[in-house]
Amino acid sequence: MATVPLLEAQDLAVRYPHGDIALHNVNFQIKSPSFMAIIGPNGSGKSTLVKTFLGLIKPFRGSIRVSGYDSVKKKGKIRKLVRYVPQRDNIELNVPMKVKDIVLMGRLLKKLPPRFASSNDIRMAKEALEQVDMLELWNRPFPELSGGQRQRVLVARALASDGSILVLDEPLAGTDVESQDLIVKALGRYHKENDVSIIMVTHDLNPIHTLVQDVLLLKNTVIGIGEPCSIMDIGLMKKVYGPTARIVEHSGHRYCMTRDSGIDRHD
Amino acid sequence: MIEILQLILDSPFLQRAIIASVLIAIIAAASGTFMVFRGLSFMASGVAHAALGGTALGIFLQDTGLVPWFDPILGALLFSVLVAVFTGYAGESGITQKMEVAVGVSFALSMSLAVFLMYYIPPYRVPQIWGYLIGDILLLNNVDVIMLASTAALLGFITLMFNKEFVYVSVDMEGAVAHGMNARAYHYLMLIVSALAIALATKAVGAILVYAVMVAPAAAANELVKSIRGIIFAVFVIALLSEIIGLAASFVVLVSPSAVAGILAALSYLLALQIRRVRERVHVDLEEVPSMAEDTPMASLVVTPDHDHTHDH
Repeated sequence: MATVPLLEAQDLAVRYPHGDIALHNVNFQIKSPSFMAIIGPNGSGKSTLVKTFLGLIKPFRGSIRVSGYDSVKKKGKIRKLVRYVPQRDNIELNVPMKVKDIVLMGRLLKKLPPRFASSNDIRMAKEALEQVDMLELWNRPFPELSGGQRQRVLVARALASDGSILVLDEPLAGTDVESQDLIVKALGRYHKENDVSIIMVTHDLNPIHTLVQDVLLLKNTVIGIGEPCSIMDIGLMKKVYGPTARIVEHSGHRYCMTRDSGIDRHD
Repeated sequence: MIEILQLILDSPFLQRAIIASVLIAIIAAASGTFMVFRGLSFMASGVAHAALGGTALGIFLQDTGLVPWFDPILGALLFSVLVAVFTGYAGESGITQKMEVAVGVSFALSMSLAVFLMYYIPPYRVPQIWGYLIGDILLLNNVDVIMLASTAALLGFITLMFNKEFVYVSVDMEGAVAHGMNARAYHYLMLIVSALAIALATKAVGAILVYAVMVAPAAAANELVKSIRGIIFAVFVIALLSEIIGLAASFVVLVSPSAVAGILAALSYLLALQIRRVRERVHVDLEEVPSMAEDTPMASLVVTPDHDHTHDH
């Protein structure tokens, strides 16, 4: 059985809500299953690409498919497969939700109203929180947590839920080293132990480059695609991050330096 | 005590007022809470004033004989739903600021329409419009109370059924949609049913005071209570107490019950802010000592790997 690609874009073009072109001439294919990173500087269309394949934004030209389902015509099917974690700042903190409510949300959203949590849901939610070392905060109000803790809870929400594709938008942004490690480890473990694909938007490949199988380098169009090491090409890096980007070889390791990501080591 | 009961039993308007107080507290708990969560508290005011514009239109249509069967309350309900739909449309992407602007515009539009139509309404009916602005819980008739009760029941039922959805729409609309929830439907459902309830409550509370009675208790509870269920319950209690005390006061001295209720509800928010501030101060005092001691080694731990990083290049 030939596997259906995880993502497949054909001549995709997307506009921002205010009309500017966010993405153009996007063509690529990622095989399934994968642990995939979408990288690029701010404003390069990473989040827009994600929102497009989730069917939240309609393409202006071309199409993108997730597991063979068209993002416009079959978005219902896609949404059954996907567990999505938006950027942390998009979560409204005005509502006094507890940590458990946020984590259970991922599971309850896949149910029908009145969406009562079963004991199985609660067990899954607790296991997921344990993965990111947040179980003791089960009953704490979510808005009172620090940025990194909130991010961990959101990742737990994705881990607790069902669906074969995890999509995380900037799960490492504004987190300290400890939270970053916990999130990366939890995702890596989860990917290894389960038959799932992970799609992660990040502007910093650094923390995850050993786990990632495919990297999509974006700057409003596809600049590069491939394994992490092949993306670490000085020509590509300069194209995306500007002339200050450098790749340094030092004692057998390759380091990629950009002002965005600091230094990234590639063996 | 017995005298008071006797008084209540003897005066049907007082009975209606007490029932209406309970119903308004239910509406405040069900709709005010979620509006505050949504950052949309201003909509209560917008809807109430739109109801006033709708009433003016209803009176105009009735009085000129254009549409004689058009009861002013229909105009109020129609306008409030229009505001809800307009606001919902502006905020489909989940951006609260856009909804606030939509509320403001429809507020202005319906008030302008009310003022415009007042020229063409016979003077003896103008007070009916002012009635909507000030409101009087003691002047409700049986039909008013029945309508208020059925909307409160509908709103209560919908909130019981879909409170999780309303919370998800408020907290993470994008995530909810991406997980397959029909967020748009719930977004409109919440706004429209709230608008209907507020429009009917306006007749009792008045457009000016509806904001105080509907929203201030929710804002107060949101400052102090840490769970959604707790907030809904606290809102019910604050709103009910304000209304009942307002009613009682209007018997002792010559005051408008809605005005007293509005003042009390608004004060509850000020009080809540103050309590929260005092609480936070105590919190900080307690936590400062251990966290100060921990800070120093923690900080150096975090800084060290960063330092290595910069040395590498």
